[in-house]
Amino acid sequence: MQTNAESSSKPTRLLGNSQALLASAKGNLELWANLLIIAWALGFMLWQGVGFAITVGTVFAIWAILSVSLNLVVGFTGLLSVGHVGFFGIGAYTVAILTSRAEYEQLRTEAIPTFGWPFFAALPVGVLLAGIIAIAVGVVFNRFRDDIYVLVSFGFAIISFNIFLNWRGLTRGAFGIHEIARPAVGGWALDDELGFLIFALAILAIVVLLSWLIVTSSFGRVLTAIREDEEAIAVFGFRTTHYKLAVWTISAMMAGLAGGLFASWTTFVDPNSFILLESMLLVAIVILGGLATIWGSLLGAMAFVLLEEGMRFLPFLPTIHVGQARLVVLGILLVLLMLFRPQGLVGRYKL
Amino acid sequence: MRQRPPIRLFSLIALALLALLVIGCGGAAVTEQEMPEGEEPPFRIGVMESLTGPGETYGNVAIRAKQMAVDEINAAGGVDGRLLELVVEDSQCSAKEAVAAYRKLTDVDGVKIILGTSCSGAMLGVAPLAEADGVILFSGLASNPDIANAGDYIFRTQISDVEVGIGTGNLMWADGVRKLATITEATDYAEGVRRTTVAQFTKRGGQVVSQESYASDVTDFRTQLSKLFDEQPDALHLAPQSEFAAGVIIKQARELGYAGPIYAETISVGTTALEIAGDHATGMKAITADLHPDNAKAQEVLANFRQRYDYVTLPWHLGSAYDNVYIAAECLRRTGDDQDADGFRDCMYEITWSGAIGNDYSFDADGEVVGLSRLVVEVLPVAERTAENHGYRVLGSAPTE
Repeated sequence: MQTNAESSSKPTRLLGNSQALLASAKGNLELWANLLIIAWALGFMLWQGVGFAITVGTVFAIWAILSVSLNLVVGFTGLLSVGHVGFFGIGAYTVAILTSRAEYEQLRTEAIPTFGWPFFAALPVGVLLAGIIAIAVGVVFNRFRDDIYVLVSFGFAIISFNIFLNWRGLTRGAFGIHEIARPAVGGWALDDELGFLIFALAILAIVVLLSWLIVTSSFGRVLTAIREDEEAIAVFGFRTTHYKLAVWTISAMMAGLAGGLFASWTTFVDPNSFILLESMLLVAIVILGGLATIWGSLLGAMAFVLLEEGMRFLPFLPTIHVGQARLVVLGILLVLLMLFRPQGLVGRYKL
Repeated sequence: MRQRPPIRLFSLIALALLALLVIGCGGAAVTEQEMPEGEEPPFRIGVMESLTGPGETYGNVAIRAKQMAVDEINAAGGVDGRLLELVVEDSQCSAKEAVAAYRKLTDVDGVKIILGTSCSGAMLGVAPLAEADGVILFSGLASNPDIANAGDYIFRTQISDVEVGIGTGNLMWADGVRKLATITEATDYAEGVRRTTVAQFTKRGGQVVSQESYASDVTDFRTQLSKLFDEQPDALHLAPQSEFAAGVIIKQARELGYAGPIYAETISVGTTALEIAGDHATGMKAITADLHPDNAKAQEVLANFRQRYDYVTLPWHLGSAYDNVYIAAECLRRTGDDQDADGFRDCMYEITWSGAIGNDYSFDADGEVVGLSRLVVEVLPVAERTAENHGYRVLGSAPTE
């Protein structure tokens, strides 16, 4: 009988296996095709101009750090935060205030305090400050769930923007702060764009590695369980609020890191770089790449930046419509992607 | 949480479309116009404008005025027989986007001379790069005082907010104002006007008794205005960023029973602002950027613009952008090379120009325009406002030190 049972079950199992194999092969094939196209686009950018490609690469690195860090919260914990841009701004403004000497200030009536620190001394302070503020607001945020959580994080983004705009004695308000220091150690400074790109990519690699360690650890498995069913995991004695607060803080610190990089790269910050819209784009990138996948966040950031900057090469436009056309096409592509791939490029979950 | 079979077909198509676009337009960025044999290639200059985003009103007027100027020059035979070509990028009024736009222009398109940008924030984000690369950045609209010190390759035909502030401060002092209340939109332009105005006014001996600022999305100002008027000021100083806010503030101030003088700037005497404020704005004084009614060139430019695009707005900015192209063309005629940024810079320091925004103006060692002045205007009653007088009468040039 046993043999009979085996022989009867074997074909079905084989069939099931082959279907799964076929599906995964198809998935892999498409993934590789995507990668190939991205590589192609990258190659094109490089062929167009190395300096431009370096700029696009740096923008990618900064956005990738942000999207990987946000995905830790949104994808792995299921808390949809639209306030991430606040921590990005906190990191950027800390580095700006600590490193700029503000010698360009013409009217000494409203000069901001200057410290003139080197970049590498200011960056950790920005990261820490983002972390401290994240703990402070996280304690409050932890009481909320789902829709309410979105709303309070929305509030956080608005409040942080208003602080950047209105605390003039610290941030110069709408004027912004310039002459922000580039990374430098001793006599060696990262003035050239290629050096800065490599530096930014190195920071990105560290962030990705950290995130990977987090999500593959037992800590990460608890986070995933929280997303699936918080009550159930709480019954087993896990203090879910602690887990959520911890990942929220780590994520905010990574965003602060991205902010510090951003400030140093542009050497100029003003409140307009930290509006709510940037947060929305960031959430879009995370969803575009796929929830709960670090790889997807990288791909999402890459696809978004390449789309956004690639649109600069739209042909045959009259000069007076260049700007609008670029954004229209970008918007249409993003909407279509959301319609056809709600789980993102490489993700498996929907929101 | 259902696991769908991975259909990545669509993302594939989307990315393929992108790739096709990108590959397909590789040519577009570097097209050379079809030239008959023996003709030289056109002079190519970059343009960065805020075509979308917060500054789009300014950016879109500027790009249209610039395109009009280029078409005029080319129709008249170009610059010494060579055509002029604009390569346009959108800087979206943001430092980040401006950096990307700048890199695309300099690196991909290989331009050395860039006209733009309208927004001070974008200008200040790009200025260090342009200075380091030796690329000309020539703006017709950015007014932030910090731009004066941005570098050797940075020029503008826009008068710094410092000048506007000095003029407004002096005007109020001369009119006998001693106690001032200010209401300001929280943007770099409006803040700049308030700051420089207050600095000059207090320097002369005046006193600011109350000040309020509002975010750009606020639509009701009565609470803030009431607080201002509680301090019994002699005058109200208004620095908005949008005409809508300007109109509503003037209207609500009068409705609250405030009868004293109001001092303002360019935006507050815009067509939309005066429409909203109606007769409440009558008698308001403003230090404004406007094309002089006696300047024939200015009137000709406005007429041509109206004929071509069917509307006119922000006339001074329009004229400034238009003049920028002609100044650039003149410097290209002298250097004969659109890759010679140093020669272009030297030409800018030497040149004296007469155009739509004024006669015999030039650039000082900071690249700041000299020889232009703002006008003091007084708003007319609704019955006397016409399209020709823009709703106000010109009292004269703004008082300087």
